[in-house]
Amino acid sequence: MKFKNGIQEQDVIVKCAADKFLPFALVFGIYVILFGTVSPGGGFQGGVIVASACLLLYLGYGVRGAADAINAEVLRVNEAIGACIYVILGVAGILCGCNFAANVFYDIGAVGDLISAGTITFMSYAVGYKVLTGVGFLLLLMLGLLAAADDDDETPAGENE
Amino acid sequence: MIYTNYIASVLLIVLGLYTILYKKHIIKIVLGMGIVDYGINLLIVSIGFNDGGTAPIFTMSELISGAYFVDPVPQALTLTSIVIGACVDAMALSLVIKLYKQYKTTNADEIRRLRG
Amino acid sequence: MITYAHFPVLAVMGLFFGAFLVEIFGSRSKAVRNFIAIVTAAGAFGLIAALIKPVMLDGEVISYWMGNWEPVSGYAIGIGYEIDQLGLFFALLIVTTFLLSGFYSLRYMERDHHLGHYYTLYLMLSGSVLGLSLTGDVFNMFIMIEIMTFAAVALTAFRNESRGALEAAFKYLVVGSIGSSFTLAGIALLYAQCHTLNMAQLASILAAGLTPTTLFAFALMFTGLAVKSYIVPFHAPAADAYTTAPTSISMVFSGMVNKAGVYGMIRLVYVIFRAIDLPAMQMLLACFGTVTMFVGVTMALAQHDFKRLLAFHSISQIGYVITSAALGTGLGLTGALFHAMNHTLFKGLLFLCAGAVLYAAGTTDLDRLGGLSKRMPKTTVCFLIGAFSISGLPPFNGFVSKWIVYQSIYAKAVETHNFAYAFITIVAVIVSVMTLASFIKVTQAVFFGQLPASCAQVREVPLSMRIPMWIMSVLCVLTGVFYDFVNEHLLHPAVKAAFNATGYIDAMMGEGYAAAAGVANVEVAPVEFSYWNPILWLVLFVVMLVAVFFVILTGRNTRGRVLEETGAPADGKYATYFSGEKSMPSHVGGSDLFWGFKHDWKSYFTVMQGAHSGVVNDYALWAVFGGAVVMLFMFTFLR
Repeated sequence: MKFKNGIQEQDVIVKCAADKFLPFALVFGIYVILFGTVSPGGGFQGGVIVASACLLLYLGYGVRGAADAINAEVLRVNEAIGACIYVILGVAGILCGCNFAANVFYDIGAVGDLISAGTITFMSYAVGYKVLTGVGFLLLLMLGLLAAADDDDETPAGENE
Repeated sequence: MIYTNYIASVLLIVLGLYTILYKKHIIKIVLGMGIVDYGINLLIVSIGFNDGGTAPIFTMSELISGAYFVDPVPQALTLTSIVIGACVDAMALSLVIKLYKQYKTTNADEIRRLRG
Repeated sequence: MITYAHFPVLAVMGLFFGAFLVEIFGSRSKAVRNFIAIVTAAGAFGLIAALIKPVMLDGEVISYWMGNWEPVSGYAIGIGYEIDQLGLFFALLIVTTFLLSGFYSLRYMERDHHLGHYYTLYLMLSGSVLGLSLTGDVFNMFIMIEIMTFAAVALTAFRNESRGALEAAFKYLVVGSIGSSFTLAGIALLYAQCHTLNMAQLASILAAGLTPTTLFAFALMFTGLAVKSYIVPFHAPAADAYTTAPTSISMVFSGMVNKAGVYGMIRLVYVIFRAIDLPAMQMLLACFGTVTMFVGVTMALAQHDFKRLLAFHSISQIGYVITSAALGTGLGLTGALFHAMNHTLFKGLLFLCAGAVLYAAGTTDLDRLGGLSKRMPKTTVCFLIGAFSISGLPPFNGFVSKWIVYQSIYAKAVETHNFAYAFITIVAVIVSVMTLASFIKVTQAVFFGQLPASCAQVREVPLSMRIPMWIMSVLCVLTGVFYDFVNEHLLHPAVKAAFNATGYIDAMMGEGYAAAAGVANVEVAPVEFSYWNPILWLVLFVVMLVAVFFVILTGRNTRGRVLEETGAPADGKYATYFSGEKSMPSHVGGSDLFWGFKHDWKSYFTVMQGAHSGVVNDYALWAVFGGAVVMLFMFTFLR
């Protein structure tokens, strides 16, 4: 086995499979985030599914390919933006006279629609965005650390016990 | 009362604690921490079970009085706990990567510069 | 429109919001980052300080339901924040500590990289500990404990290259994760039995008695919160973490994170389970506290590193707090809370001085420092104030709180005719003497004596690092002299709130709920400072001090002068020597003091220092063993 970019040298089959599955993973993840209030799923679950697209890129193209395709700095800043939106939605409850995180958008849509559950829908979207960017950044960071560790010493890690 | 779930969760917790206490490879210790978390998650989900209840998802026409469903609060607790378990694993594995780079070993008996 | 009921949530969420803002803007501009951090910390301080008037002075208990989810037909369905006097007492300590720490770290951390991450983590740590002390929901408390653990682990490992930082963070994470898992399992079992997560409703349901499930949940939650307060045998990762964290964060650890665990234990035992009037429970907590006191101070005497010594002293002082809180009397809890407050102040001061020494001299090894009082006089004065406070000398605050602790333990011994409590009093006094001995050793080793050549160039630390030290010194002196004022306005309301379960439950769930569940109050008499009035002892101390000075000044001064100062080597050609030998540096340093004590107790130190082996499996074994002891004890004696 030849090792390059931290994993076994890319097969054509693995790269093709990653290419074909990537759009499905992204669309399915965004579906789970968006339809969080009417079907099982929600912010965290969908966010993790979308972030696994980074793993698909890594499997297909190696660390260099994944790091070139996604800008880690943008992911890091957007994670904080998602969290800020969550807190602002909570404080919106205070500004409207109720307590923190009160349901202030309660008259949008009927039960069973896509956007119908009030403030919690938007909070779920904010959480999904935060998890998407956050876990993606985390995956890129750890893969980058592993690649740097493998560049330092030639052998793969984890030899004893 | 579903006995299999409770026995399995206690077994998982004990197995995870055994791994943390006896294994010397630090990645195995991290795996042990994860198994303890999963055991507790199984315990929390099993607590909410009501025999014969349906899933707590309703649209307006199905919500009549006397509807019998399983407790949704432990499900929310479990979701939160899964997220926390994922974060603990991520942080622990990052520390393991940096420990290996600095100490050149993954044996817990040799990672002991601070002692006494 | 924004009444003071919203202030607690705004304070906690404001801190988290500040952390996210620092994440967005912090990497670009240093001034923006510092500004956001200090403004957020000061804003939280202001919001919590504004609550003193309604809660502490007027005696109101603020109950706040998130999202306006009020209780429905007697069942709590929302997450509640309940601020009573006990929670506000700890919240005040917390906001003071992290504001001073943030101010200190502006100059202290400027030589490090990635400071955007540091301020994010610091603000998240502060927000989570503040949320822990203000919440009224037991699962929310667990979430705050988890955020606190993550931020603390990341901050311990912040300086990757410093010796042992990464391994200290790993051990902290493993043992902390075991504690959190126990807490979560306890909360799950408690929910299974009571079907609620609100502390007030739990207190009223559990007043009916303990079933085996709730007893098991009690044991698990007790162990989990004990892991967070770092009492023996859960204390070993704390010693490592306080050593390797940046000093502004060590101060926050020993001042805030410890107290969060202690607050959790007091809330659990006093309010939720109300088990403090069982003699078996009192004995269990008192034994834990006594062992913690003793092991902490004896391990501290054997250390070579400044910050690790302070860490073991921190563990030992928490033993005082736990022992005094174990007694279940008003006097005991007053002593515990007063000592917790004083510990935050003087231990924070000591850690800030250690940070100043590290910033100026570059090392904390006691064998390589010495004579720094000649170059850093202001730091020496602050350190002396802190050292006298922790040893319990009048007129500083340590004296008053330690005296209340001794008095309360001995009063308990007299009341219950139990010799064990008299023995604990003796141990407490001996531990105080050993604390004084240990601080004499540190003061001599670091600040007095001869200046080694490697430290000849140290300078006094910058002003923005000295201002937090001065503020804490002044607070140490003020709380020691005006202890009556502190007791009447801060401590007595908090102690009354801890025993006043009826008020706590009624504020959340509506009037008359507690009486319907059969919960009764325990009356607490106000503490009176009578013939053991500390002011009399202070006067006696001042009189003796004046007498000693008088004797010294009227005596003859026949001490010879050292012919040659150490440090720079003299010019060999033109200097004169005694008997042909140059005088060598003869500083009596860290390892030389109390060597006789260490030699006499060699077998004890071999066992104890061998037990602190540094292997993560051993520390995890201690934690699980401690949990097993607690569970066995509870199932045997608390049925």
